[in-house]
Amino acid sequence: MRLSRAVSKVAAYIVIAVIITAIVTGSAVYLAMREHMPTHTVTTTIYKTTTQTQTQTQTTASPTGPTVTLMVYGPWAGDEAKYFQAVINAYEKLHPNVKIKYVTMRAEDLAAAMPIQFAAHTSPADVIFTPWAWWIVKMAQKGYVEDLSNVINANEYIPSIVKKVEWDGKLWAAPFTMWLKPGFWYRKSFFEKYGLQPPKTWQDFLNLLDKLKKIPGIKNPIVSGDSTGWPLSDIVEHFIITFGGPQLQLDLISGKVKFNDPKVKEIFEKYLIPLIKNGDFSPPIEWTTAVQLWWDEKYGLYFMGTWITGMVKDPNDLAFFTLPGCKGIVGGADYAFVPKYAPHLQEALDFIKFVATKGQEIHAAQPSGKIPTWLKADPNKIWGPMKQVYMTVKEKGLEILPDLDDSVGGDWQKLFWDQLKLLWVNPDKLDQVLNTLAQQFPYKQTSS
Amino acid sequence: MSKKINIKKRYLALFLIPGFTLVAIFVISPIIGTFIISFETPSGFGLSNYYSVITQTSPTKALVLLNDMPRPPPWGALIHNLVWTAIHLPTTTFLGLVLAYLLRRVYGRSIVKSIMFIGMVIPMVVGGLIIRFMFDKFIGIVPNLCGLIGLTWLDKSWTSYPDTALLALIIGSVWLWTGFSLTIHAAAIDSLPKTYIEAAKIDGASDWQIFWKIIVPSVRAATLTVIVMTMLWDLKIFDIVYAATKGGPGGASTVLAFVMWLYFALDLDYGKAAAVAVILTLLTLIPAAIYIRQVMKRG
Repeated sequence: MRLSRAVSKVAAYIVIAVIITAIVTGSAVYLAMREHMPTHTVTTTIYKTTTQTQTQTQTTASPTGPTVTLMVYGPWAGDEAKYFQAVINAYEKLHPNVKIKYVTMRAEDLAAAMPIQFAAHTSPADVIFTPWAWWIVKMAQKGYVEDLSNVINANEYIPSIVKKVEWDGKLWAAPFTMWLKPGFWYRKSFFEKYGLQPPKTWQDFLNLLDKLKKIPGIKNPIVSGDSTGWPLSDIVEHFIITFGGPQLQLDLISGKVKFNDPKVKEIFEKYLIPLIKNGDFSPPIEWTTAVQLWWDEKYGLYFMGTWITGMVKDPNDLAFFTLPGCKGIVGGADYAFVPKYAPHLQEALDFIKFVATKGQEIHAAQPSGKIPTWLKADPNKIWGPMKQVYMTVKEKGLEILPDLDDSVGGDWQKLFWDQLKLLWVNPDKLDQVLNTLAQQFPYKQTSS
Repeated sequence: MSKKINIKKRYLALFLIPGFTLVAIFVISPIIGTFIISFETPSGFGLSNYYSVITQTSPTKALVLLNDMPRPPPWGALIHNLVWTAIHLPTTTFLGLVLAYLLRRVYGRSIVKSIMFIGMVIPMVVGGLIIRFMFDKFIGIVPNLCGLIGLTWLDKSWTSYPDTALLALIIGSVWLWTGFSLTIHAAAIDSLPKTYIEAAKIDGASDWQIFWKIIVPSVRAATLTVIVMTMLWDLKIFDIVYAATKGGPGGASTVLAFVMWLYFALDLDYGKAAAVAVILTLLTLIPAAIYIRQVMKRG
């Protein structure tokens, strides 16, 4: 009896002690997290230009020594991953003691998973590739990213590309290869078969869509790619640049012009919405499935980035046109950065140095549909069909502009994609969509 | 005798301590931490996170959007969760019960049950992708069937349209979760003494009467378990939404857990994410409390 009472007392004490421990631990966890919680005073400085003299330093990994396995996360899968593998193979050949394990992780997934890892002062990856410069800067502002100012020379890169990852006078990521979103792609053989011509005026474009509609087997003249929503945003940006000019694209990014501004609304009302209502665009179809459907001549045109050149059976059968009167196209790059908590920091920095220079040449020589952002890269090494695209862009004198949603980033980017998906299936909601985009735009962040 | 039981209970309490300690550290303390963080604001402590998430008007993050009703979604994540529960809960529960009753005399019922249970076994993210394909205009069975029977307005990619996206997810989730209801109900029906049904048959009861007058009341405890677990599942739903629609289009299929994820993983706004988490936890506590009460009653 006494024993049982004693046991129950001890049990009660232990339970109380455990509850107190839980409360203390909970508070400790809270306090520890508080240290890493965002302060909400971060300002995006995407367009801040820094003039600084870069100095190259020696961050070379020894080609001998113990074997190191570098974890590299990037957005490429399938054939795209195969083209990046060529870069990895070249590096491993030069550094027999370094093994590289590549893991596919899209920008959206990285943005979702990594901050939590970084906040816990850990990183599963040594090097991370992402097209979202805004996100890298955001991570850098939190102190999660290694400064690369002394690893690569910022002056050796396309200025508009490199300045996106500069903040506080430092360089936080290395630009990798660049893609372009030049316009509507078509199959040369398909156009020849039906006697079609790329349009020279807006009326020509409308006539082309009408002709495409009449071709047997064509479901819609233009196929609309779907995934998280970015293919639709690319189309919208092309219309904005064509009918509003390159400056309007820049003003929308900076927040100087709102989405419900009359001149923006006019572009939608006058040019884009009639096409959607007229059935010229297909409903959104998963974008890789859409590539095949378009190639199989179920659709006539496809608005996509230059990476499409590496996704089709015969890239020599490809050609593109911009909307008549267009003065600029969107271009952007992937970036590589090293998390502060990378397990193999020195080797990761050495790999970054390689991919940002010679690695770009190797990647651009593959059918990746990319061109180097490293100004010292040999242009003759660019893969033939992509070189052709690049030459056309240069000949037409098209200005290369930043991607709107990639530049604004954050939660708004997701909202933008989602609202455009809504607009595509419900064009009557134009006012609601534009007002939502204007209301939710992060003006304070980008106007500073 | 009762003293012995008391002593046993006390010893049992002692043995519970290791498990309780782990729960306290890994479950209770994070809950306390989340609760505290939900009140953390840039200027100290307050309710601003709660105010902000409840009054949010962005379609992707709003909890309640009741402007200009009636209209197609978005209605806000909280309303979507409630609509989800209102359709999914009775459908799944009833379907599982009826199937369990009908399958009890079918040859090869184990195979049918196993197939039905696949929805429960596969990862929910995979389930979400399957739903997306199931309702796709080109390769999906549902739109094509609708087209065949003349419902041309439904011969489209359901997940791409605001008026059908949420419904596609709910119907898909019925397929995924019915296996659970079926299994629980089948086990409960199998455990019933055969004499109940035999006696009813001798008395001239039809299958319909046996189902309503004997089966349904007899498996009430199992039904309650299914109801509570389904409610919890409906409130916590995330993976399917993430994989199939990402809450879209135009925020037409957002749910609470998805909104919490947006605040947490995309905005890195832990305060607001914690506020949504607390709201979600409070909502899940209701069915959990019902269940615990029922278990204690039975115990």
